[in-house]
Amino acid sequence: MPKSYSEINQKIKNGDVVVVTAEEMIKIVEDQGEQVAAEEIDVVTTGTFGPMCSSGAFLNFGHSDPPIKLEHVWLNEVHAYHGNAAVDCYIGVTRMADIKPFDYGGGNVIEDLVSRKSIRLRGTSYTTDCYPLEEIDTYFTIDDLNQAILCNPRNAYQKYVCAVNSTDKTIYTYMGKLLPNLGNAHYAGAGCLNPLCNDPDYETIGIGTRIFLGGGIGYVMGEGTQHDPKNGFGTLFLKGDLKQMKPEYLRGVNFEKYGPSMSVGVGIPIPILNENLARKTAIKDEDIETEVIDYGIPRRNRPVLRKVNYKELKSGKIDIDGKEVKVSSLSSLFYARKIANELKTWIEDGIFFLNPPAENLPTNTTYNPMKQVSELKFVKDLKKPAVTCFDDCDIKVVAEKIIEENTNHIVIIDKDRYLIGIVTSFDVTKAIARDKSHIKDIITKKVIIAKDNEPAEVAARRMKMNDISALPIINDEKQVIGIITSEELM
Amino acid sequence: MLPLAIIRDIDDYSKIINEILKYNITFNILKFTTGSSGVNLLLDVPEDKIKMITDALTQNKVVVNKKGRVIVDDDKCIDCGACLSLCPTDALYFDESLRLKFSYEKCIGCLICLDSCPRRAIEEM
Ligand code: SF4
Ligand code: SF4
Repeated sequence: MPKSYSEINQKIKNGDVVVVTAEEMIKIVEDQGEQVAAEEIDVVTTGTFGPMCSSGAFLNFGHSDPPIKLEHVWLNEVHAYHGNAAVDCYIGVTRMADIKPFDYGGGNVIEDLVSRKSIRLRGTSYTTDCYPLEEIDTYFTIDDLNQAILCNPRNAYQKYVCAVNSTDKTIYTYMGKLLPNLGNAHYAGAGCLNPLCNDPDYETIGIGTRIFLGGGIGYVMGEGTQHDPKNGFGTLFLKGDLKQMKPEYLRGVNFEKYGPSMSVGVGIPIPILNENLARKTAIKDEDIETEVIDYGIPRRNRPVLRKVNYKELKSGKIDIDGKEVKVSSLSSLFYARKIANELKTWIEDGIFFLNPPAENLPTNTTYNPMKQVSELKFVKDLKKPAVTCFDDCDIKVVAEKIIEENTNHIVIIDKDRYLIGIVTSFDVTKAIARDKSHIKDIITKKVIIAKDNEPAEVAARRMKMNDISALPIINDEKQVIGIITSEELM
Repeated sequence: MLPLAIIRDIDDYSKIINEILKYNITFNILKFTTGSSGVNLLLDVPEDKIKMITDALTQNKVVVNKKGRVIVDDDKCIDCGACLSLCPTDALYFDESLRLKFSYEKCIGCLICLDSCPRRAIEEM
């Protein structure tokens, strides 16, 4: 027997609604079957709590006297976006503070706001006849604002990938710290508790759906950015009144060498209108499949190393090519459960009602890559022949080559062209000044290299990060096949 | 067996191994990583040999880090788990209710977790 929203809401009013969490629903459907579950269970609650970079808040400060038309706004030294009316702004969670950039950001400002801490507002203006004030420097708390609206263009990913790093260096990403040689793995999302996993055809979650957001009440505004329903990577655009929210469920996070973000708590109730929804909300971790992706390769299409499901991910260890890799989450499962339970209590206590969406989320949109008008250049397009010397030659020979070939970098190789090291014109000058005659006295052996098929920009960043001006290029056999210098990259 | 902390060596890690092998003891390599500072080795060696080996390594210009440990600030921690996969000894782990726990006994002070926490809840002691 199908149920309606109004029947469920009547039960909430009467105090006899039956609510379970998505984790509890699994066993109920397993033991009693979809049909009985659909009759007995009215609502299944879901929850997730993880870093969601596409989040932020609209704030309205009210007018100053004399009035100011803010052109640039800083909240605790974090630049907020100002392209709206005079005293509106949008604080985005990934924006870094001008001071302590990697330790404090927009996410922390929002956490401090909901913690009712005092926030410094600094603003400048070009001034107009109607807005004569040039500068403002004041303090406020969330209670001093007219509106504080959390507005997140992309939250609550249906599922996400698992990240590893195959290179020989530790990398710092938005997926956390990834150790070299598949030393660890990170995933995100709450698996079977994830809201959209429990309504994969978006039958009940749509525009206007009332939800738990950051400890307060929020609404789904529609599909999130990069919504990718065909691949099971749906997303949601969410909003809610920040003034009602709790700092426990909106936490500023700062990923080392990546920057700030915010962990957002989202919980969505799924009304069990029919048997299909009973079956769908009984989804298990092992039914949710995602991919292990190599974040060591800095390209849009990163290599997929294997398929994996959330049961394996939650077990703490996965196998990659025979290697046991420790895996953990960036999302808190403890808080995901807490959210699903809190929402359950709200409904049982009769303070939260369900509503049908004004419109359903699209199920057929595609997620496209960026259109780039200039052609992507690779290292191989910009490389030039490397000027080389053997490792046993005299410094004088090296010096002559530098002059002859008008270069600053001599790549030192052995007879089979295997890379031994690199010598710069500066090294040679130093050697002559200090009366050294052997290459081995001046050679740099820890050479940072490039590969033919890497994008030129990636090689350029490597030079910048290491403060060097050339990278020898090697093939898969580790033989030198050229060099790329900062000159070619300019 | 007690851990000996991280050893950083820019040249060749076999030098370290050979040096330790001279003492004719068994030891475990708990972690081998390469970073911007060179090769990082986390070794587990018998307690009574620590001084001897430390001296030998220091003479070979190998940097031996003093054993340090970390603490987790529960007020800052959000039980995400971003540190968990990095800990070589399971000193950082989840209890049954999936809250982060830290075992001081298991921690060997490798500090690999230190910069992994997005809440800056892990601090060096
Ligand atoms: S320092 Fe951190 S990673 Fe290392 S053992 Fe202790 S808790 Fe684990
Ligand atoms: S990474 Fe930090 S916040 Fe996350 S569980 Fe570890 S200590 Fe807690």
